[in-house]
Amino acid sequence: MSRSTLALGLVLVVALLALAWVATLPRTLPDEELAALVPGDAARGEAVFFAGGCASCHGQPDGKGVIPVQNKHLLSGGLKLVTDFGTFVAPNISSDKTDGIGAWSLADFANAMLTGTSPDGRHYYPAFPYTSYARMTLGDISDLFAYLGTLPAVAGRAADHELAFPFNLRRGLGLWKRLNLSSDPVVSVEALGRPAEEEVLSLLLRGRYLVEGPGHCGECHTPRDALGGLDYGQWLSGAAAPTGEGKIPGLSPGHDLDGWSAEDIAYYLESGFTPDYDSVGGEMVSVQENMARLEPRDRQAIAAYIKALPGR
Amino acid sequence: MVRTIAASTLALALLGAVAAQAAGDPVATRKAIMQSVAGAAGLSGAMMKGEVAYSPAAGKAAISSFNAAGHTFGDYFPEGSQAGDTTAAAKIWEDRAGFEAAVAKLADAAGAAMQASGKDGPADVEAFKAAVGPVLGTCRDCHQVYRTR
Repeated sequence: MSRSTLALGLVLVVALLALAWVATLPRTLPDEELAALVPGDAARGEAVFFAGGCASCHGQPDGKGVIPVQNKHLLSGGLKLVTDFGTFVAPNISSDKTDGIGAWSLADFANAMLTGTSPDGRHYYPAFPYTSYARMTLGDISDLFAYLGTLPAVAGRAADHELAFPFNLRRGLGLWKRLNLSSDPVVSVEALGRPAEEEVLSLLLRGRYLVEGPGHCGECHTPRDALGGLDYGQWLSGAAAPTGEGKIPGLSPGHDLDGWSAEDIAYYLESGFTPDYDSVGGEMVSVQENMARLEPRDRQAIAAYIKALPGR
Repeated sequence: MVRTIAASTLALALLGAVAAQAAGDPVATRKAIMQSVAGAAGLSGAMMKGEVAYSPAAGKAAISSFNAAGHTFGDYFPEGSQAGDTTAAAKIWEDRAGFEAAVAKLADAAGAAMQASGKDGPADVEAFKAAVGPVLGTCRDCHQVYRTR
């Protein structure tokens, strides 16, 4: 090998490393968005808290690994999500200043929720569904942050994630995020049929926001590719359970909700009973408890969106 | 009224089917028991929502189905019946005591509803709601842990 080839090779390697470095850099929100953040309203934030299902992972689990409804305000973390990539442990997001997020600024919180980047500039694993939360409004983020601040401080750090190589290399998530993180809506208004009546349209858009954003329904109800990214071509069509046994039902036309009316869906989210009076089960029990805490119009909005999903 | 009677008859017929299968396949047996619960819950829900006119006899039929299920369902999960066409979670066999406690909650709630029903069944739909509400409240707790969704 000649000297010049060696030099060229070296330059190439350095260039590739630099490219990888830049491509995997944790990103944060633009300064102008962070500057526009104003303190939120804790009372409004309570509804965002339930819409977002925070407690279904971050609540304090009992001895059986279930978060009882009375522990939903104790955000100690500790729930284990056993997945194909390894075991993720939900962290403490209580208002504790050392073990939780009590020392965070609103900008720290907005970056975590919308960009999946921690206050110390590291990538979060997408077991934390920022891929959905990225679609939330800054107003909801601020309100939620204000509400979390009113919940008790719970001491104690949750255990670390247990992940195998290469998934234990956090930096690699920078590339994953480039492929999978977007704040754009999943289903266009056109694909939802763009209803002419303003009232109907506004209900549908509210439903889209709740399902695609805070509700993060797609994180379980949509199949994932080999790298764990959501397959948007099969949006809400059902999937293998990401943790535990069983299959998650499909919500889009041609799957498990075909016999359900919008009223049936809203009633299920309120009561936990299907039209056949089967009861909610598995992880959906906790989700349904959250949905029951929303305004009736929000459950109707979710139902309207699900019924308007395009078939394939 | 016709629908009420039809639904009550269905609930009773399902219970009859349970008895006939009891000696056979445990998976089929426990499914039949839970189908009778679903039938009774469907009738209860329809009456509580006013889709079907309430009658004390229909109310009592539903509560009787819950009660019978609460007393029998837990007996049909022997070792080896984890496999096959079932949505029973592995957790049942890992945590038998917890599962039995969950089924006992159904039996207790349904037993109390039977007591409240008296000879003729709950007198009106409000009394029925009060009796059956706690029974329906036990479904989710068990399904959260011991059923694969």
